[in-house]
Amino acid sequence: MTVISLVGAASYMPERIVTNEFFLAEGEREGDVPLMFRGVKQRHHVGPSETAVEMIRRASGKLADQLNLNLARDVDVLLTNVTVPDMPFMGCGASLANALGLKPKAVFDLHNGGCVSFVVMLDLVRSLMTTHGYQSALLCNVQNAGGRLFSQGENRVRKQARIPGDGCGVGYVVANAESPVRSIIVRNYGEYADDMSIVRDDGSCWWEPSERAGYVDFNETKIAVITNRANRIVPDVLKAACQQAEVPVDRVGTLITNQPNRLFLRNWREALQLPASRHVQTFERHGNLFGAALPICLEEAVSTGQLKPKDWLLLGGFSHAGDYAAAAVVHWRAGENVAA
Amino acid sequence: MSVSVCSEIDALPGVHRIENCSKEDMTALAMEMTHAVYPHDEVYGEFCTVETYVDCPPDKAFEYLADVYTLQEWTYSLRDFTLPDETGMVIATDKIGGQTKIFTRVESNEQAGTVDFHCSWDQGDELWMIYLMRVVPAQLVFKKPGCVILWTNCRHPYYLNNPFPEKGPPGRKVWVGDMWPFFYAGHAIELENLKQILEYRHRSELPMTLGGPQ
Repeated sequence: MTVISLVGAASYMPERIVTNEFFLAEGEREGDVPLMFRGVKQRHHVGPSETAVEMIRRASGKLADQLNLNLARDVDVLLTNVTVPDMPFMGCGASLANALGLKPKAVFDLHNGGCVSFVVMLDLVRSLMTTHGYQSALLCNVQNAGGRLFSQGENRVRKQARIPGDGCGVGYVVANAESPVRSIIVRNYGEYADDMSIVRDDGSCWWEPSERAGYVDFNETKIAVITNRANRIVPDVLKAACQQAEVPVDRVGTLITNQPNRLFLRNWREALQLPASRHVQTFERHGNLFGAALPICLEEAVSTGQLKPKDWLLLGGFSHAGDYAAAAVVHWRAGENVAA
Repeated sequence: MSVSVCSEIDALPGVHRIENCSKEDMTALAMEMTHAVYPHDEVYGEFCTVETYVDCPPDKAFEYLADVYTLQEWTYSLRDFTLPDETGMVIATDKIGGQTKIFTRVESNEQAGTVDFHCSWDQGDELWMIYLMRVVPAQLVFKKPGCVILWTNCRHPYYLNNPFPEKGPPGRKVWVGDMWPFFYAGHAIELENLKQILEYRHRSELPMTLGGPQ
């Protein structure tokens, strides 16, 4: 297997910041909001005309400046995962390549992996670099369900509407050992796939005509089993990634997970017995960033100085109601020799 | 004395009922309290409960447990039992404490399936190490033959400080309470002993009591 390196990440956050009042129904007060749905102070929402392509273009521009890249030349593989695609059917990779002036040798628009799609993409990139000899890859995550779904009239006042926040995170991967990915584990649990769905209150399918708004719905009667599931499969896969990398968990300098709610963050960190200071997350000011959380928090970890060269970085989480769990260990900018 | 539900109880701190805590708040509370892992001390600090399924009929398991002399078999270190005194108390050696004497009286209730061991190291005047056990028909709880055995200990203050140090054998360095952090492990091991022995005796149609010192 070719050694690949995750060398950088950058974000773009939509301009529109939405505070909690936005989600209150008429006459409702913040104190009426059930405890479970509190914890986010503000989040960003995409505007009505803000496309995934534009968000990625902005984040990629920042990344190119940061790493001194010439994107047109330096992206062999382009991968995207977008929560609410600009268009059904097509994926935005080709349009993105055009907008950025890229000449990628391969483009993949992943529709699965949700909140851990960044790790799923990392896994795919490693395979492609091994089999095809590609040298570089741009991994793009867009979360835009906040503005696109949960700002709509009837959705806005749903109790879960205040949790998602929008943002775009991109990461850059190269086929060398300057910041080597030491392990990647992706597990799928098909048996959990049907516990989350996109629904409308009139029961219509998303492609059918309707006046009702579509939204993400978790099977609430299963909240206990989904909680238990997330408490189990995420620590399991995080520990497995450490084991595969031969890194004791207590040596992890920075942990970054997806950030679905305050309690999962707490539980995962506790399960690994890592202090809160090593778990980089932005839940309070960004909400649930879905798949974009990993690259956005990675940028945060680097820019705040939390993640330092030669630190062990552990990335991971789960998607939807548990259909995927994935984790990866990176020896951040350890600058190991390719031959070693 | 009133037989109706007392309405003031909803105002008591720490009381959560559907009358004073919505289902949503109850779910939130449950989420808050549900962790992926729990520190050992939080789970086993004040109470130590172990439990297992045993493939042996509940009446036979009860009969075995209620005979104080079977402690010679299924405990790790209780040996050399005496005959009972007039109160039913027996004295044995707890070999985990060298020459330590352990005083034991069993209080059992067949109908409830409870077998409580009232014990103490070193003296029999105050039996404060209480092992609470209960045999439950597995048919009721697992819809299968056999039984479930529950076993709880509470950390009596004497576990922290030996109130009668002068009664122990001279020079003994260990105190039973110092082993409290290993109670889960020790009792889980002994419960597994109990399970294996009960299943073996049942399978082999051996008697379920020892009836006296061996």
